Amino acid sequence: MNLLLLLVSAILINNFVLHYFLGICPFLGVSKKIDAALSMGVSVTFVLTLTAVVTWVINHWLLIPYGMPYLQIVSFILVIASLVQLVEMFVRKTSPPLYQAMGIYLPLITVNCAIMGLALLASLKEYGFAETVVFGVGAGIGFTLAIVLMAAIRERLDLADVPGPLRGAPIALIVAGIMALAFLGFSGMIK
Amino acid sequence: MKLPARMVVVLCSVSLLAAAFLAGVNLLTRERIAFNKQKEIEAAISLVIPGTRSSRKAYEERGFSVYAGVDENGSLLGWAVESAASGFQDSIVFLVGADAGLGRIRRLYILDQKETPGLGAKITDEKTFLQFWEGKDMNLPLALRKPPAGKEELGPAEVNTITGATISSEAVLSGVTVSLEKLRKLRSEGKLNVEGGHEK
Amino acid sequence: MKSRTLGQEFVKGLWAENPVSRQLLGMCSTLAVTNAVINGLAMGLAVAFVLVSSSLLVSLIRKVIPNQVRIASYIVIIATFVTIADRFMAAYFPPLSKALGPYVPLIVVNCIILGRAEAFASRNSAGRSLIDALGMSLGYTIALVILSAVRELLGSGTLLGRQVIGAWFEPWVIMLLPPGAFLTLGILIATALFIEQKSRRRRPA
Repeated sequence: MNLLLLLVSAILINNFVLHYFLGICPFLGVSKKIDAALSMGVSVTFVLTLTAVVTWVINHWLLIPYGMPYLQIVSFILVIASLVQLVEMFVRKTSPPLYQAMGIYLPLITVNCAIMGLALLASLKEYGFAETVVFGVGAGIGFTLAIVLMAAIRERLDLADVPGPLRGAPIALIVAGIMALAFLGFSGMIK
Repeated sequence: MKLPARMVVVLCSVSLLAAAFLAGVNLLTRERIAFNKQKEIEAAISLVIPGTRSSRKAYEERGFSVYAGVDENGSLLGWAVESAASGFQDSIVFLVGADAGLGRIRRLYILDQKETPGLGAKITDEKTFLQFWEGKDMNLPLALRKPPAGKEELGPAEVNTITGATISSEAVLSGVTVSLEKLRKLRSEGKLNVEGGHEK
Repeated sequence: MKSRTLGQEFVKGLWAENPVSRQLLGMCSTLAVTNAVINGLAMGLAVAFVLVSSSLLVSLIRKVIPNQVRIASYIVIIATFVTIADRFMAAYFPPLSKALGPYVPLIVVNCIILGRAEAFASRNSAGRSLIDALGMSLGYTIALVILSAVRELLGSGTLLGRQVIGAWFEPWVIMLLPPGAFLTLGILIATALFIEQKSRRRRPA
């Protein structure tokens, strides 16, 4: 499948947040300020790409050849947890300012549905290696796009008079719904 | 036991126990799962090649499979191609049946789709979409008729578009066209494997 | 830590600490599979199975697991039960398994399960953990069923597959698509908060 089309599809048409509902917790939790959202987006993209590579290798060199596809869920989540741990240690050692900026988000990323979702979807769709990596990068960019857009809107919402029960998560979800509606317009872009 | 050793032992035991348990679960369920999959594809093949008593896989590559449908005497009734097309929302997986001589389309069946309910999702509907594919001439270029016409008015290679779901209809059309092309090519190159069956 | 009766442990999962409307956990699955009541129900039951099994097991072995490897161990345990649920569904309920797709395996990252294991099951007896898990599961399932009932009713005019609203109703297809999911959940949470605020005003705090 054309890699460029796959990239565009992952970013716009089948956006991980607004179409697959993956990564909602950080999407709602870390989208109050644009720079925090951007940091989270970049961290997630980085982990997604790494995960795409490692889970593909484990899936296609270990699990499938030895007839153990049923161990996918366990191995994927362990890989993700370990990767995130390693990334955190690496960032803390090599670049303290970078750790200051995005380090705190890293443990949260382990339970980010988007990472596990990427591994599972790539396996389900039987993507090859290049496709899985492109899918991972696209998913990350799409996630970053959605979360930064949301942060931009929420910074404005902070100044608006939102009624009591709607404050916080509900209004964010409604905004997400309208964003999802807008992104629906990208459907059918690729023929 | 010292702490680091204990950590390793506990973690390893938990993992090994989990793996063993899951291997057991796998043994219990894998036959059933394979059976379900088999039943699903066989039911679909009987739908697109009516009269099929059994089928076998004649060709397989990623995203494209060909099945041969045979009747109770073992005579080849037709070919069923399973492939996917990029639809409005996501992939549309379809199964199209062709007669043994690759002259006419038998029937079309949609295996999986995530199109818009009430619009693109109508590609699974017999009355508004699928029925028009039956008996179409495979050797002519297939075309979509818009706005949709009555069954008798359609040309030998024309099928109706679903109103309000042009893209889904076009996706199915291009997917089927490409698949049938490929089927013809594979057949002429002798790459279709039908051991045990003989053509009518 | 205040001590609660067993009854209170159970009931808190239904309203005061409802995983969906109050704790805002597990939203990925909630949004994805609530386009029909049968799907929401199936997901609720799958989550219930995983939550109850893993909470029970974690609670039973909590004294044996060293602190440093506890999260990793919990993850392995949860992943095992999720795999069991997924395989079982694929074997005995194939159409449901197909409808729920990758969202059953995604239960492994559903924050509710790891959250309960870490916050409760690892510090409480097996009996209490079981009750807590049951309460949370029921609360979760109820929230899912309400959400999917609204979406299915308005989006296809049916409930559990049966036509409930007559042919005069033009279904709001958007309810079955992602925007409808977000909007409905947002309104559901707002409603829950509204009810909570109103009842708090009536009762002296």
